[in-house]
Amino acid sequence: MVRHVIRKAAGWLLMIAVATNATYFLASWFLDPRSNFKELRPVRSEAQIDRALAPYNLSPQEPLVHRWWDWFTSVVLHFDWGRSPTGVSVNGEIGYRALISGELVIIATVLSAVIGVTLAVFTASRQYGWADRISQAVSIAVFNIPTSVAALAVVFVAIWLNQNAGLHFLYVAGENSPGVEGLFPTIGDRLLHLILPTLSLTLMGYVGYHLTQRSLLLDTINADFVRTAQATGLTRSRAIRRHALRAALIPTATSVAFSIPAMFTGAVITETIFGWNGMGRYFIQTIAKNDVHGTVATAAFAATLTAIGAILADVATVFLDPRVRVN
Amino acid sequence: MTLTTLAGSPAATGATPVLSVRDLRVTFPSEAGPVEAVRGVGFDLLPGRTLGIVGESGSGKSATAMAVMGLLPPSAELRGQVLLGGRDLIGLGDKELSAVRGDSIGMVFQDPLSALTPIFSVGRLLSDALRVHQDLTKRAAWEQAVELLDLVGIPDPRGRAKSFPHEFSGGMRQRVVIAMAIANKPSVLVADEPTTALDVTVQAQILDVLRLAQKETGAGLVLITHDLGVVAGHADDIAVMYAGRFVERAGVDELFRRPAMPYTARLLAAVPTVDSGVHRPLVPIGGEPPALVDLPGGCPFASRCAVARDECRADEPELREITGHGHVACLRADEIADGTLDPAGETGPGDRPSGSGSTGTGDVVLRVEDLVKTFPVTKGALLKRRVGTLHAVNRVSFELRAGETLGLVGESGSGKTTTLLEVLRLKQPEGGRIEVAGTDVATVGSAARVRELRRDVQIVMQDPLGALNPRLPVFQLLAEPLRAIGRDRESIRSRIHELLTLVGLDASVSGRFPAALSGGQRQRVGIARALATEPKLLALDEPLSALDVSVQAGVINLLDRLKRELGLAYLVVAHDLAVVRYISDRIAVMYLGHIVETGDTETIFADPKHPYTRALLSAIPVPDPRRERARERVVLRGEQPSATRPPAGCVFVDRCPLYRLADEEVRRRCRTERPEPTAVAGRAGHQYACHAV
Amino acid sequence: MAAHMTNDTASGATPADPPARQADAPHLGLGRLYLRRFLRNRLAVVGVVIFVLLVLFSLFGGVFTSHAYSDADFAALTQPPSATHWFGTNQGGNDVYASAVHGLQRSLAIAVSVSALTIVVAAVIGASAAYFGGRVEKVTLAVIHFLLVVPSFLILALVSHRLAGDWRVLIVVLTVFGWMSTARVIWSVSTSLRERDYVTAAEFMGISAPRIILRHIIPNLGSLLIVNLTLGVVATVLSETALSFLGFGVQTPDVSLGTMLADGASTVTSAPWLFAFPAGLVVLLTMSMTFVGDGLRDALDPTSVTGAAGGRR
Repeated sequence: MVRHVIRKAAGWLLMIAVATNATYFLASWFLDPRSNFKELRPVRSEAQIDRALAPYNLSPQEPLVHRWWDWFTSVVLHFDWGRSPTGVSVNGEIGYRALISGELVIIATVLSAVIGVTLAVFTASRQYGWADRISQAVSIAVFNIPTSVAALAVVFVAIWLNQNAGLHFLYVAGENSPGVEGLFPTIGDRLLHLILPTLSLTLMGYVGYHLTQRSLLLDTINADFVRTAQATGLTRSRAIRRHALRAALIPTATSVAFSIPAMFTGAVITETIFGWNGMGRYFIQTIAKNDVHGTVATAAFAATLTAIGAILADVATVFLDPRVRVN
Repeated sequence: MTLTTLAGSPAATGATPVLSVRDLRVTFPSEAGPVEAVRGVGFDLLPGRTLGIVGESGSGKSATAMAVMGLLPPSAELRGQVLLGGRDLIGLGDKELSAVRGDSIGMVFQDPLSALTPIFSVGRLLSDALRVHQDLTKRAAWEQAVELLDLVGIPDPRGRAKSFPHEFSGGMRQRVVIAMAIANKPSVLVADEPTTALDVTVQAQILDVLRLAQKETGAGLVLITHDLGVVAGHADDIAVMYAGRFVERAGVDELFRRPAMPYTARLLAAVPTVDSGVHRPLVPIGGEPPALVDLPGGCPFASRCAVARDECRADEPELREITGHGHVACLRADEIADGTLDPAGETGPGDRPSGSGSTGTGDVVLRVEDLVKTFPVTKGALLKRRVGTLHAVNRVSFELRAGETLGLVGESGSGKTTTLLEVLRLKQPEGGRIEVAGTDVATVGSAARVRELRRDVQIVMQDPLGALNPRLPVFQLLAEPLRAIGRDRESIRSRIHELLTLVGLDASVSGRFPAALSGGQRQRVGIARALATEPKLLALDEPLSALDVSVQAGVINLLDRLKRELGLAYLVVAHDLAVVRYISDRIAVMYLGHIVETGDTETIFADPKHPYTRALLSAIPVPDPRRERARERVVLRGEQPSATRPPAGCVFVDRCPLYRLADEEVRRRCRTERPEPTAVAGRAGHQYACHAV
Repeated sequence: MAAHMTNDTASGATPADPPARQADAPHLGLGRLYLRRFLRNRLAVVGVVIFVLLVLFSLFGGVFTSHAYSDADFAALTQPPSATHWFGTNQGGNDVYASAVHGLQRSLAIAVSVSALTIVVAAVIGASAAYFGGRVEKVTLAVIHFLLVVPSFLILALVSHRLAGDWRVLIVVLTVFGWMSTARVIWSVSTSLRERDYVTAAEFMGISAPRIILRHIIPNLGSLLIVNLTLGVVATVLSETALSFLGFGVQTPDVSLGTMLADGASTVTSAPWLFAFPAGLVVLLTMSMTFVGDGLRDALDPTSVTGAAGGRR
């Protein structure tokens, strides 16, 4: 079991490395830090711009492979992810942001999976009953609403609640309030700020789990072994709960990994709307500012999140499926 | 003396029936209208007795079983009575039914591979089944589960109880399913095609386990099958089902001695058998069973019946008692019963094959020498490591002449299909030589030459529906091989017309899609497609096993006629020796990648030498209760071992009945030395590989 | 990005031979049968009607107004809906109705072409990988998995930042980075088709590999492809709005529903009409396509669980 996880983790590490390096080259091709200087007055010469970029390992005069090697060695040896075209350290930026976004994405992923699967299990055994129909209709509606629209709807509702119900703990902007002191107040404040973004991200995430898990379950319900279980004297709903459910969970567990990139995308939009200074917003800023190193660090962060999700999914699969365990 | 009696009348023997079914009707909704799957079935089942329900696919036999168990989907409409110990199960809710299921009535399913929950150990499955109905501690239930596994013949039951279903073979899983069915000592057992998915030697074992289970619990058994041989050996009474109804119901001896319903009689005449030296001709039943939507009035068999009268088409005959013949639903049953009417009508035996006289006349079309094929066995997900070698085919040699049929016979895993595919690949084999029409396939370099050679070798596959692309109409299906060899439009059109006539199909089918054809028609299209390029060699992979008995006979006769008319050579792969007997001139019996015996068909059937051949022959049930029950049978122990680690000596040694009786010297040779083929004196071509014979 | 969610499980169901179909086929043509099943699904019919209306609106909606989306009416900045400006105006004085017509046209054009291109690419790649197996399959799958794991959105943003602005470039970019999840579904269904006897039979008849893929594998993916085509439209609309919302998709002065959402988001409390009209159109569009997709699946795949209770055991 432990060996299995270690082997998987090694595989993912390789994947992250390849993804990050590939992004480095893509970013270097598609982002042009020199264009940042084009707007500046007085107009700088090409040579001046190159000279300004050179200390940050961004000068186009240097061959791409050299720049890549310098960047790569500094990441591997010193875990230094480089600097932006204006000389801001990437490490300094992402340390704090990664925590915020990681928190958001992982909590939302876990909540999405739990809520979606529970809803599917609850409704699939009552197929075509009213609970199934209503939850199905709600999920299909949510599935079709763009994240931006949904998040704004959440903002709207929160503001309305704050105004009309006298609630004041639903924060629609920022990841913390200024001037909060002490350990527990800080944590409490952070948690309160987390509510709405997590809510809107979960809203976008649970739908996928609900709809897939529901159809998986409905497939499994007709499996021969469920019929055998009924033949031994279980009622249909007990046979489904005991025999179909766990078998139907296996593919969902493996799909968690593939849902995280979408979750990250959702986080980018959510952070924009809720004014969070997380990785998502940083990513947009870095691209807008042609910050190659910042962009690459964001990609590495997203890939790491995916790997974490995948390893968790693997552990879950091993736990659920004896066929994997035996091998 | 019939133990199943007419619905409504009390049982003659005085014993109370454990299960009584009265006028059972099942209807499924469908696009085309309600499908009347079961239309008024009734029977009584006495404790300790076995009722065999026989029917072809779509006759409603499985729906009957599911209705008795209360396991039909909610969309099905169910009427009538199912009285279990006097209590009517129909109309009970799921909760009340679940108290009955598994407790007073147990069920064995067809496909053991999918019938067990993959995520639980078999011990857990069994103890759960026990604890549903009995107040047991976990430990006590586990102990009972181990005992049950022991009872159904699982070796090392205590250790194996912790294993998961996927770690068992099909036969072992079916034993577990039986153990689950009898866990709470039910008074009724329902077995729905319990051996259809299994090999014949394993089938014999499972039927024995079933009989043991019945004896152990004293339960009445409803045995549902399509195999007349299985019921002949195992049922006390038989009900023949056709188009959703019982058309004949009688004691097993009466039914087989003289079937009084034309359908039963014709069915028996169409079944190939293995025993006795008489090579009796097969008489197919024309037509196909009716669809169960909007059935017209009258006897549903009338359109296929040779002795139908006008009255038969007016009203559907009721099941009525015929003295000495049980109950029959036929207007002319009395005439048939007293022997004055032949249910086959005047059609007679038809074009019966000329027999095996043609052996060894034509040119050699296929020569296989020392063919070897192995597969790597790998492990690990990311980096696949090779952990072993599967010896699928090991030094197999044979030759095949024009106008001749060779049957490769064996159970699953014997390497017969691999041999066939290696021949069809037309590439240099891993070991040995393959020569097609005088050309060594290893020497054929260019793609053009391979295409040339392809024309000579074609294949007919097992499942005719699966072998035809569902999105193409018949014309396109037949045109495809012709286009591949570059025929022009006009000649394709005329050739397709020719082909359809050749296989006995009407030209009107050419616009239809495979789904709109019947099973027999589909297989004829498959054969026509294989013949399109005028091949010399036709490889037939289980060509009949997906067809119903009544249709099978027609295809057998067609294959025989084509062979004679076109001078084809057939290489037939089949697991069913009875079928092979009717189409082969010579037979090669395979076991674990080796040919263990080969010879002329009738020689092998009359005087099998190799112990495996004998066991295989005796495991096939004969549709005749007297011979089937009197026959001396060799039931093999265990199952075919994995071909990853074949024994060093004879591959059959683990299961061989002769090995156990042989003296020390012979046993040593069996263990250490692979037996070479030995010729039988005085019989050309008959060879076997055994030290102990 | 969410396209794979509902159809992963449609896999086993595709080319089955339900008894119902067997019984029907001789009487009804398959096309008629599918149509009858589809029409029975009321939501699907509503979906088709809405979708057709949206298409007509995007094509001919401009006829009813004298404003063009690029015209600025400086006399009416940020005006709520009125008789002259039916959907109101934005901060620059652009008519929201005219913008909505144009934006819908853009979004539809992008969504339909991306979805169609994606299906073609995914079908060819997925089916070929499954058919050839071995090393080809391994490499293709590795690439697919890799691209699925790297947030494709990230790459999209990176690439379109430089290239986009032109909506036609956006189509290419969205296709290039959007085919993977569909290809994976198609691959997994094709692997079972690859084992079908008719494919083996075709090989033994000497039919060439491309012909087998095009004639025997892809046509038998039929319903999966059609359903994915409609769901692909939904997925593309959603990614296009997300990209444009963040400023990476369609660029001003061009207008799509996504850019309108982005513009309206900041003033959602003070000028809600700027947000409400494009948001409503997006949801109408995606909803209608989802209904159509569901209806198609039920009509083409009677064995799928979402279908009504058929004559299945």
